[in-house]
Amino acid sequence: MMDLTQPQWVKHVVFHPFEGFEDLRWKKGGTLKYTAIIIAALFVALIALDRWCGFQFRPLPDALFSVVPYLMRSVVYFAAWVLGNWAVCTLLDGEGTMKNIAIYSSYALIPYIVQIFAQVILSHVLVRAEGVFFDTVYYVGIIWTAVLLFNAIKAVHQYTFTKTVAAIILTLFAMLVILFLAVLFLSLFQKVYVFFYSLYTEILYRVRV
Amino acid sequence: MKKNAGHRLMQTAAVMLSLLGTAAALQLPASADEPYDVYNYNYLGEAVPSQAGYLAERAVSGLDLGTTALNAPSDLFKDEKDQFYLVDSGNNRILRINSEFDEILQIYDSFTMPDGTKTKLKNPKGIYVSPDTGLLYIADNENARALVCQPDGKVVMEITKPESNVYDQQLTFLPQKILCDNAGNIYIVLNNTTKGAAMFDANGDFIGYYGANAVAATATVIANHFWNAIASEEEKRYRSRSTPTAFDNFDIDSVKGFIYTSTSSGSTDTDIVKKVNPEGYNLFSYMSNYTWGDLFSTWYSGTSYKTKIVDLDIGDDGSINCLDATTGRVFQYDKEADLLFIMGTTGDQVGAFTQGNVAAVETKGKGCENIYVLDAGKGTVTIFGQTVFGNIVHEATALYNGGYYEEALDPWLEVLKRDGNYRRAYLGISSAYYNMGRYKESMEYAKKADASGRYNRAFERYRSQWLREHLTAILIVIALLIAGIWGGRRFLRKRKNQTPAIANAPESKAEGGTAS
Repeated sequence: MMDLTQPQWVKHVVFHPFEGFEDLRWKKGGTLKYTAIIIAALFVALIALDRWCGFQFRPLPDALFSVVPYLMRSVVYFAAWVLGNWAVCTLLDGEGTMKNIAIYSSYALIPYIVQIFAQVILSHVLVRAEGVFFDTVYYVGIIWTAVLLFNAIKAVHQYTFTKTVAAIILTLFAMLVILFLAVLFLSLFQKVYVFFYSLYTEILYRVRV
Repeated sequence: MKKNAGHRLMQTAAVMLSLLGTAAALQLPASADEPYDVYNYNYLGEAVPSQAGYLAERAVSGLDLGTTALNAPSDLFKDEKDQFYLVDSGNNRILRINSEFDEILQIYDSFTMPDGTKTKLKNPKGIYVSPDTGLLYIADNENARALVCQPDGKVVMEITKPESNVYDQQLTFLPQKILCDNAGNIYIVLNNTTKGAAMFDANGDFIGYYGANAVAATATVIANHFWNAIASEEEKRYRSRSTPTAFDNFDIDSVKGFIYTSTSSGSTDTDIVKKVNPEGYNLFSYMSNYTWGDLFSTWYSGTSYKTKIVDLDIGDDGSINCLDATTGRVFQYDKEADLLFIMGTTGDQVGAFTQGNVAAVETKGKGCENIYVLDAGKGTVTIFGQTVFGNIVHEATALYNGGYYEEALDPWLEVLKRDGNYRRAYLGISSAYYNMGRYKESMEYAKKADASGRYNRAFERYRSQWLREHLTAILIVIALLIAGIWGGRRFLRKRKNQTPAIANAPESKAEGGTAS
């Protein structure tokens, strides 16, 4: 039973929200290769939502585009989620490894990404007054992903319902802490860099004079 | 023979001169001769280089006009006959100048009172000439009066400090600027009240105040209002009250009857320019926080240089021309308050003005062909002339604002040929094509203008047009799809029934496994 190839696992997990991840865990399916592809797709999707929509829905003028926020909202947030969840759940007797958390969480994001692309395609045929279709697509995608993500965490750590809820709340808190520390380090390193750079220029001047 | 040769020499010289002139004209990048960089604001609020709409042609001093130098002149006015009235405050006189601005027609320095005595002005500050009656209205500042007189200098009315309960008798009466509306009511800007302009009827009787600014709802004002509401009578006496800043200059659109006011106070950002109807209601109140003049004030050596609009003029085409004393710039807006052109700077060249000491701006012509700026510091009037580009923009703007979108199409296309950065042209072309039913082009230009609302409107029409045109094809495709699915399923079922061996094939077993 359930001798599925990797693409079949993806399909199975997405279309079986409540049993899929248990099956995945039982059969040790899923690979990090797909995680990379999914996060890359998320990155592209976020850009697509702002850049490839029909012009009537484009919120951002071309001149103000920057790639950094999109990188932040895809790669950095996902990394913070995996790290935070691993850190919290290791303390809470979770059974998931960091690798598995990354794989399961990323698979859960698929409906969200598909929903974004669906919005992008719809935006080329709809006008602003018909925006209710976007809301529908958005809520279907986001609820689907929420259910998947919840069951992914539940399955990967073999938690009960309540414990999963607690773990997710703590994970969100851990993400905040991680991002805060990241910003702190970033500004610190910037200062250190500026310090060494001015030291370098100062020495350069002294040598020349 | 000799005479003839001299004549030919002259001719050759004239031809060469005109050739030189043509060469100079051909070289022109429009702004190269200006002592400043011509710019405009794009829709993101960034200053971008732009084509000049006006070029400074010449500066006229009192000596150029054949009289003594002007001394701290404070107002310039153009009447219905395109004659100019220049208030030369320091010399206590008013000059009437011809339409070409090169000859003085009359110097008013003394007036005849109704009883026959002569009277002189003392530091006059403002003048207005009624288009209906031709009467001169003069704000005679240090004599604490306003004079209404005939063009020949006979005073018909003298307005002094009103004896009314509404007018606080402790206040002085020092008229700064003056104008009169179609009904003959006289409005006088005083520099010591925030209640608005003092308003008099045609007989010179005080009616009340007109068109005061609103109090800007800053945090301080709101806090003040709150504490005043809960304070006792005793405490209230010692509390400060929130008063608006006073406007200090105005102009009337004599055709429509709207009075435009300008406020130069640096301490407020609201109601810098108002458009007040005869009832005293500000029609620009919906954009009371609109930034007139430069969008950002600059900081230099601890001083903030912020736009300070000291005078405005409503052109014959309804354009609003605002004079900024800080930067010496004239900001020209169309009647919908969209920025058209920016010209002028501070400095000594022609087209540059004394910083903080420009007095008045005036325009001439149906399409605002000339702009006159009175520089009090230098005692000169600088005359700007419209460029070809400025002319086309004005033509297109007038048609567009009048609702003639299709007629405005050609001028707007011409504008784009000369300045591809001019966003209003893209909007105008988009509107024109929309009205003509060419939605695809309308979408294209809306996109170039980054106007997604207009794009949405055009796209909606384009979509329904497309659906109507291709309805048959769409129906055929749908019919074919349904037929194809139905036929295909039937065919598959038939094949399944005919060859049961395939149903037991190993691949199909695997498929069943996936489905479970």
